[in-house]
Amino acid sequence: MPYLYGDSLKCTGCRICELYCSLCHERVLNPKKARLRVVRAEPAIDKPMACRQCADPPCAKVCPTSAITRNEKADIVIVSEPKCIGCGACVEACPFGVIWLHPDRKVAIKCDLCRACVTRCPVDALSVVTSEQFADKKRVDLVSRLKPILMERIPVPRG
Amino acid sequence: MAFKYGGYAGQVLEVDLTRGKTFNKPLDAGLVRDYLGGAGFCSRVLYDEIGPRTRPLGPENVLIIAAGPLTGTLFPQASRHVVAAKSPLTDIWGEAHAAGHWGAELKFAGFDAIIVRGRSPRPVYLWIDDGKAKIKDAKRLWGHDVYETDAMIKEEFGDGSIKLLYIGQAGENLVRYAAVMNDLDRAAARTGMGAVMGSKRLKAVAVRGTRDIPIAKPENYMKLMDEFHVKMLADPFTQGRADYGTPSLVELMNEIGRLPTRNYQTGVFEHAEEIGGKTIRRKYLVKARADFACLQRCGRYTCVPEGPYKYIGGSPEYETLSCVGSKCGIGDVESILYAHHLCNRYGMDTCSFGGTVAWAMECYERGIITPKDTGGLDLKFGNHGSMVQLVHMVAFRKGFGNLLAEGSYHAAQKIGRGTEKYVMAIKKQEIAGQDGRAQKSMGLGNATAARGADHLYGFPVLDEVGFDKAIRERFGAKYLPEIGQKLNPKYKGLMVKECEDFAVVVESVGVCKYGTMIPPTFFYPDILGALNATTGMGLKGRDLRKIGERIVNLNRMFNVREGIRRKDDTLPERLLKEPSPEGPPKGHVVELDEMLDEYYKLRGWDLKTGIPTRAKLRALGLEFTLKDLPRRGAA
Repeated sequence: MPYLYGDSLKCTGCRICELYCSLCHERVLNPKKARLRVVRAEPAIDKPMACRQCADPPCAKVCPTSAITRNEKADIVIVSEPKCIGCGACVEACPFGVIWLHPDRKVAIKCDLCRACVTRCPVDALSVVTSEQFADKKRVDLVSRLKPILMERIPVPRG
Repeated sequence: MAFKYGGYAGQVLEVDLTRGKTFNKPLDAGLVRDYLGGAGFCSRVLYDEIGPRTRPLGPENVLIIAAGPLTGTLFPQASRHVVAAKSPLTDIWGEAHAAGHWGAELKFAGFDAIIVRGRSPRPVYLWIDDGKAKIKDAKRLWGHDVYETDAMIKEEFGDGSIKLLYIGQAGENLVRYAAVMNDLDRAAARTGMGAVMGSKRLKAVAVRGTRDIPIAKPENYMKLMDEFHVKMLADPFTQGRADYGTPSLVELMNEIGRLPTRNYQTGVFEHAEEIGGKTIRRKYLVKARADFACLQRCGRYTCVPEGPYKYIGGSPEYETLSCVGSKCGIGDVESILYAHHLCNRYGMDTCSFGGTVAWAMECYERGIITPKDTGGLDLKFGNHGSMVQLVHMVAFRKGFGNLLAEGSYHAAQKIGRGTEKYVMAIKKQEIAGQDGRAQKSMGLGNATAARGADHLYGFPVLDEVGFDKAIRERFGAKYLPEIGQKLNPKYKGLMVKECEDFAVVVESVGVCKYGTMIPPTFFYPDILGALNATTGMGLKGRDLRKIGERIVNLNRMFNVREGIRRKDDTLPERLLKEPSPEGPPKGHVVELDEMLDEYYKLRGWDLKTGIPTRAKLRALGLEFTLKDLPRRGAA
């Protein structure tokens, strides 16, 4: 299950992703209509946040009109705008705060994994990953870091 | 309701603090066609509303905070807003610019500009939420620094995403070089705009918005912006800026002998490496933090983890390292980082603060200012403890700090005794970190800038280090090689004139001088393309150049009306008569007169007086200023 991951170590908080997102989806520039947000927390934290496309999405569970569904073919969680009544139950249910109501149309909007922001992030802070890939990378990084210690345990000939 | 052009919010917020009222007014489409927005918008509105009888700190002064049509858009580095009023430091045209996220949010909240008039009977702040404005009581905020005020207002609304612009204690206490701060560490620093805001008892402007910035031609727009972004990121300058920010200029300026040291006695500093970009990156950098839509990310956070100068916050730019550091002979980098942090919290221009302290230090070393004047404070060059103590004393106008809060020009006028000779200011404003003897264009640019000493009004930097390609494009190949030689005064009048015209356009559309002036990535055709795609104004290249010239001439006329003439377009005696003692510019002074002659000729200004000619003013559509020209013989 891929989702949009924002790396807070790389992100500089420029919010170019928010602008491109609103431009691609709404043909205007308006961060409040973007499907992702960069959260700035002082000191020095900038964290892009977007829908994680949960396997068992709580937003879909609480939606009274079944407007939110998990589309297995596309492997993402989708909002059907015609079905959405703008009640905001999904907003309350999402533990990450990454689904919200469109400021004018009052329907739920969220990341649809279109990747317009990913290719345009100037510092490559955004990527589409699966949890499997994430874990893979973490394991490999950790082992590389431990390599000097692990090497000492291997009885290789030392000159 | 929707505005005629894209890019603009289409509304101006007018605030009458005396009566406690706000008015939403439609933006004048004719005015922005002639002046674009930002700095240009301010130049016209202030010319009409204030003048020689306006006291800078009186209720009759008018303070404008304005964004440009590209602020908040995808143009690289479109994060800028301007703060303008008559200056309490220079008593002439005052303006200061800043980046951050505030300017963009102002537009998302439905306004292009805020015009503030009058004076509130009690401390207040402005709350602007999606097109609606309210004047709110600021009693509990008054007396708090910028960091505290930021936290208090965000807590009041329970919303950390609100964008804030404010003054600290320096503005409240009318320090003549107080800054208007925003987003914690961003400063509209120069010409004392913070004191004007303080005189109006306006503590802060909080904004939040959900409105669109409409795009006139969305189909071309994305493709064009993609191209601009690729071009910006591909520029070799970008990575250097991202890695080091402007502090790396310390080492470069030192190498070319342009790093003002000990109040401009020399341009070479023996501790340059200790206070330079490499040291700061290696020992103190936390991370690069960009302003809105910024691809270059020269903004950054630094921290001193322990000791008396412990802090975490925004990092100083080159100008601060030079003004608070080398100019004061200070090589202790942690004290400079900390003084910068304090200046941000109190809301104070580090250039004028450092310049004023450097002046006092030279007078102290020469025995003209004594411990009796300073209240026992030892002001020898390099004494960083005293310098840091002075930040507090100036912001609160305590003891000797009360005198230094006036700026070096006014302080020297008060104290006398020949201290005037060591004032390194132009039109009463301290020169930033630029020794014109080492780069002649910078000498001229500082002398002609509308807001007093200012390296940024024209920002002539293409003769700094090998930008011959851009020079050929922007000025013409026939002026090479002389125009590109920084120690050669030839063609520098042309360079400064052209740079000023372009720079005011950049500041009127709301983008940054990084990416336009240096690196010279985007020029008129790019700004024009972005402006037309965003606004649909259908401007031509020559329109844009004319707008730039119009704004420079209108700023000039504002100053002419205040009595500014050729005699004021000058430099401190030291830069004109004392040859630079070491480094590449050794033996050089600034050959100001010959450069000024060339500059005035190209400008169409009178050679003797420096006043724009009637023909020039008419050609630029500035007929309304003709009535303010001095009568023949009276100039």
